[in-house]
Amino acid sequence: MNDDAQDAVGDYRYGFHDPEDSTIRFDKGLTEQVVRDISELKNEPEWMTDIRVKAYRHFAERVMPDWGNCEMLNAIDFDAITYFLRSSKGTESDWDDVPEAIKNTFDRLGIPEAEQKWLGGVTAQYESEAVYHSLRDDLEQQGVLFFDMDSGLREHPEIVKKYFCSVVPYSDNKFAALNTAVWSGGSFIYVPKGVHVEMPIQAYFRINAKNMGQFERTLIIADEGSSIHYVEGCTAPTYSTESLHSAVVELIAMEGATIRYSTVQNWSVNVYNLVTKRGIAHKNSTIEWVDGNIGSKLTMKYPAVILKGEGSHAEVISVAYSGSGQHQDAGAKIHHLASNTTSRILSKSICKNGGRSSYRGLLQVSPKAQNCRSKIVCDALVLDEDSQSDTYPTMEVANSSADLEHEASVSKVSSDQLFYLMCRGHSEDEAMGLIVNGFFEPFTRELPMEYAVELNRLLQLEMEGSIG
Amino acid sequence: MSTYLEIPIPPSSDHLWRYTPWKRVHPSAVNTIPDAQPLTISGGDLFKAVITDSDEIARSFIHSIAQCQELVLADEDLVIDVKSSGHVAAGELKIVAKGHNTLVINLMGEASWAGLRIVGEVLPASSLSIALINELSSESRLLRVEDWVVGKDASLEFSTLSAGGSYCKTDIRVNLTAKGSECRGSVAIHGTGKRHDDHHFEISHAAGYTTSGLVMHAACDDKSRSIGTGLLKIETNCDGSNAGQIFRNLLLSEKSRAESIPELEVLSDDVKAAHGAASAPVSAEQLHYLMSRGLTKSAAEALIVEGFLMDAFKDIRNKKVVAAMRNALLLHLDCLVI
Repeated sequence: MNDDAQDAVGDYRYGFHDPEDSTIRFDKGLTEQVVRDISELKNEPEWMTDIRVKAYRHFAERVMPDWGNCEMLNAIDFDAITYFLRSSKGTESDWDDVPEAIKNTFDRLGIPEAEQKWLGGVTAQYESEAVYHSLRDDLEQQGVLFFDMDSGLREHPEIVKKYFCSVVPYSDNKFAALNTAVWSGGSFIYVPKGVHVEMPIQAYFRINAKNMGQFERTLIIADEGSSIHYVEGCTAPTYSTESLHSAVVELIAMEGATIRYSTVQNWSVNVYNLVTKRGIAHKNSTIEWVDGNIGSKLTMKYPAVILKGEGSHAEVISVAYSGSGQHQDAGAKIHHLASNTTSRILSKSICKNGGRSSYRGLLQVSPKAQNCRSKIVCDALVLDEDSQSDTYPTMEVANSSADLEHEASVSKVSSDQLFYLMCRGHSEDEAMGLIVNGFFEPFTRELPMEYAVELNRLLQLEMEGSIG
Repeated sequence: MSTYLEIPIPPSSDHLWRYTPWKRVHPSAVNTIPDAQPLTISGGDLFKAVITDSDEIARSFIHSIAQCQELVLADEDLVIDVKSSGHVAAGELKIVAKGHNTLVINLMGEASWAGLRIVGEVLPASSLSIALINELSSESRLLRVEDWVVGKDASLEFSTLSAGGSYCKTDIRVNLTAKGSECRGSVAIHGTGKRHDDHHFEISHAAGYTTSGLVMHAACDDKSRSIGTGLLKIETNCDGSNAGQIFRNLLLSEKSRAESIPELEVLSDDVKAAHGAASAPVSAEQLHYLMSRGLTKSAAEALIVEGFLMDAFKDIRNKKVVAAMRNALLLHLDCLVI
């Protein structure tokens, strides 16, 4: 890591990187041939190649968004990015078979240890493809399908073909088109009817190479009456040049199913994190996004739920921390298309050292959706004069029976709270850390314990030196 | 400064024109400047004046077709009538307020299209409570833009009762430029028939220890549609500022619609800023309470609408303005019943 990068990232503990030892690395830049080559390399069916090519053409034609942080967005050099890099010969199911260097990386990130203790399954993605994958035997016996996306397409093409791009079409936005064109890796999960996956299933995404683009694609289908909790974590080394992470996640919750999707995003501050996440909730089903954004240079992520079935429910709990040079532009979108649907959004953000955090949300009630209920709460803490907090909520109501509330507030840490804690023997830094952890508590309590502990620790590190 | 025809037509992705596109606001084809009749203003001492053009399309358009008059208020309590007639009518009004003032504007007339641009200043240590009652004909279209500068320790209250016109676009911007300046805005909208009413507010805190509050209540009936967009901006080095914004919508019929976008941009840390938005039908509990006391359902609903709309003005300190709003609202609701 060079000095500039070190200065920029401070104590980012995942900023280390391994020497690049790729088996296949495409040249930088994106052309239709690159898209076709990725598909051919993966030996994909023709329909997938066709979707990729259509998506590429759409990406090439579509202009960059004219909203959000346009200055940062326009600084992305798509020709300087490597779109595919294979670091391992294949996806291993035995940890010992993973290449040593990659294994060391994930050991340092604590992945195998977590798997043994409390996970139902794990997939670890390094650069463009999964390098390790496992699923507990009992879940496998119950018919749960859990693969990296490439294997999912190979093993169950009929399911993938049915649902791929059904929630996020490639024409949805420029970055969804890019992902559809060059996607690689990600998770494919199918939970059969009535099966409850009690332990969370985890994916861990790691970018190691410079100027790398990671474009994983995740598809989760929870069949009738089933439930699953999926957790993803992300880190990358710190370089002085930028990397791009542009994922697409599609969730389908069938009647009575529940999907909880938790993310702890801790990319280094040279990563653009431009992600499209959307779920469709059928009758009486629930989709929950629990979304933590700590790292990255620019995050633009608005987890969405389409409440298509009567009685379905959506919940989005998100927190964002923006430090120096960071802009966390996060939020949520809920579309109430059916009657008696409910949703709740809780967004919390903190900015300091010139960071910027924005909440951007959309709440929509269609004319035919009767008796919908929704509540949105956005709280922001601005810790110094150089930082900025914005809120851009949109409510569109086309049915008179809807009962919707939105409230937002921006403030600084109360001096009364600081004084109270310092009277009890805490230093200013410790007091600030405690207040911030308390501020984020509604989020951390929704995470598995190990993640919550880790997040609190990360926040504590970020908050050190925030006083004065 | 641009003239109207040099300004590009804003795309529908532009937040300000998303729900009410410029081509529907303009009285004819967007690349034309029509002939306009002046608005007839009576009730105050007015002088010819000049205000500068603007880069913003709506302001520049009105500037290109209207004549400007100036109204200087010094401890005044004034009611003026602004009447529109003909096909297209437009006017610019420059207002300077010193001392403590009340100004009620009755906007009326039969013009197919009316444009009103107000540029105002509240001088230091002065106050102005300005109310606009939109009583335009139900066929009229309205474009109303206002820009206010509020000086040190000065106070601006702006109130609107919007019940007239068929297609209305309002854009009000207030700049709190000096320490101690404050602004309170209260807006009540009643949508009936196919009425389309779009209000945009921008309140900028450009100095510390400034205060603002905005309340917008919209009651939408039939196939009407209300849009409320607001941007509260607290600039850097504006510690001690306090800003609040609330949008409430009451939807009275199946086909009525309401859009609310209350935005916050905060660039200082030692501030209080909050906003809220809510949308709901008429409360069944309130209806039950009133009907159990002998009111018919329609009478009970009308009473709830009246209470809801008047509630928008509860923070207005100027009693004369509140009384004017109440009278105008009751008259409007009575006329609907008749």
